[in-house]
Amino acid sequence: MRYLLQRFVQFLIVFVVVTFIVLAATRIGSSDPLRDLAGGQVNQERLEEVAADYPYLDKPLVIQYGYWMTDIVTGDWGYSYYQSQSVMDMFKQRAPATFFIVFWALVIGLLIALPVGIYSAYRRDRIFDKATSLSTFATISMPSLVVAVLLLYAVAARTDLFPTVGGSNYVAPWDNPYEHFKNFFLPALTLGVGIGGVWSRLLRADMVLTLQSDFVTLAKAKGISPMRILWVHALRASVLSLITSVALQLGALISGSIIAEQFFGPRGLGDRLVFAIQQNDLLTLQAIAVVIVAVVVVANLAVDLLYAVVDPRIRAARALT
Amino acid sequence: MTTTSMDTMTAMPDAASDERVATKRRLPKLGVTFGVLWLGTLIFLAVFADFMPFIRGYGQSLDGATNTRFGPGIDFWFGSDTLGRDVFARCIYGARTSLTIASASILVGTVVGGTLGMVAGYFKGWVDRVISIFTDSLLALPAIIIASLLVGRFDVLADSDIKFLGFGFGWMSRTWSVTIVFSLLSIAPVARIVRAQTLSLSQREYVLAARSLGASTRRVLWREIVPNVIPALTAVIFTGIAILLAAEGGLAFLGYSVPRPPSWGSMIADDRDKIEEAWWTSIFPCFMLFFTVLAFNLIGDRLARRFDIREAAL
Repeated sequence: MRYLLQRFVQFLIVFVVVTFIVLAATRIGSSDPLRDLAGGQVNQERLEEVAADYPYLDKPLVIQYGYWMTDIVTGDWGYSYYQSQSVMDMFKQRAPATFFIVFWALVIGLLIALPVGIYSAYRRDRIFDKATSLSTFATISMPSLVVAVLLLYAVAARTDLFPTVGGSNYVAPWDNPYEHFKNFFLPALTLGVGIGGVWSRLLRADMVLTLQSDFVTLAKAKGISPMRILWVHALRASVLSLITSVALQLGALISGSIIAEQFFGPRGLGDRLVFAIQQNDLLTLQAIAVVIVAVVVVANLAVDLLYAVVDPRIRAARALT
Repeated sequence: MTTTSMDTMTAMPDAASDERVATKRRLPKLGVTFGVLWLGTLIFLAVFADFMPFIRGYGQSLDGATNTRFGPGIDFWFGSDTLGRDVFARCIYGARTSLTIASASILVGTVVGGTLGMVAGYFKGWVDRVISIFTDSLLALPAIIIASLLVGRFDVLADSDIKFLGFGFGWMSRTWSVTIVFSLLSIAPVARIVRAQTLSLSQREYVLAARSLGASTRRVLWREIVPNVIPALTAVIFTGIAILLAAEGGLAFLGYSVPRPPSWGSMIADDRDKIEEAWWTSIFPCFMLFFTVLAFNLIGDRLARRFDIREAAL
């Protein structure tokens, strides 16, 4: 418990540092943040109006950070004049698309990693292991941009099944599952393939070690079926690196979703973010960045919790401290 | 140096070497050979591109022709794009841009991150805690987002007449800003790996021996720790370049990398909507990017296995 509290404080500090870096980064080379908030070239009235909303802009950056963070935490994300929309509304509108790309990418990654990782460890150095070892290495070395182009060339341009370049739209799975699949499959696959390769290799490495341990031999001796040993007993003892990587890669997946969105379609947060960076739309930019950082930090914290659930040895070790 | 490395070998606990045998991936030696050959050829072509008769200028287009787009063939090995520019030449010049940025960044990242990691791992205590929070924060940054944000802001900075300590920022071209941003982003992963290495190295007998003989901290760090961290660093450098190359592709795709000479990412980004009529304009840069990243990964992987560092750390 004390350990978790310690980790929590540590992650809180990281969160503050990172969000402060984001705030500072948006101000580089910007002499007039007020104008950025008001939407670029605008009249005096608008400027005064915005200045009244943000009276703290002439204070030191640290003070500004305090005000800004309070706004974010209390749910007052401001109004983006660039997009004529409140940032919160924009977020609610765009977040689902990004969420589903990342979610399906995770699912695809795990659907690749679990069978490949487990089976290649079980039949180590056989033909399946060698073949997957080679192909996972190839997918690891394939930037998502390259995967996207290849998918586009090999699949999207040749079949009518999927929307053409950039033509995908957001369709909720509960409205129309088939349309949802059509719009989300390619972007999710783009991210999922690479990540699946990484996870397969991680899982295989851990699994190989686990399969040599005594409790697996005992389980075999007791006559438990190989499938059950692999998928229940050995898997549980081997997923630590995998879980860590899932959490660590979450941030990378959300970032990667920007590329997938730009490439294939369902316009989510990434799309807004690209525009926000181009226009220096401070509020949108900062809000999205904070959410992503928060997700990454929370995921890391969740991993710490999960460690204890998955591996009783860690739970025991923690109990002693 | 020789004695210390021998000590490392004998001091290696059995469990670690067992693990290395267990996790050994049997990629054929072919992989490394391919990696070295590919990189050698690519670097050679990129460096001497200006003197090669068969490499055209990257911006040079065919004059007076109405249809300037040709498929791959004798004249244009990789075809030519809509403006009649040779895709092969652009790929080679792209290598120059991408490789320069990636290797310069990893160099800075290695020096700064390596120093931070070593200091954190050796002195432990509050130094370690402060540095760890710093690296954890850098790792929590969404890399592509922060990179495009910073490059975008640096553009504004370079155009503005803002002065810092009396210096303007007019010199800051895209090449500079991308390199600076990538250097910043590569600090944390290197620092983390070096910290872990140093933590275990500083427990070794020869470090203890050096310290009890009264060697100064600086001497212990330079003569005992640094030489033993370097092998791991070489692996990190290769893997790091691979990651940076991929990241540069993504950044270029979003329009935040070096536009001229074009990097592979910007070539892909520019021509991706023409893939049905002219696949070669985007597929070839893709292959270049893929094979180069693969080559760096293959060499990095071999080195990592050779020097026993964990893949998951990066």
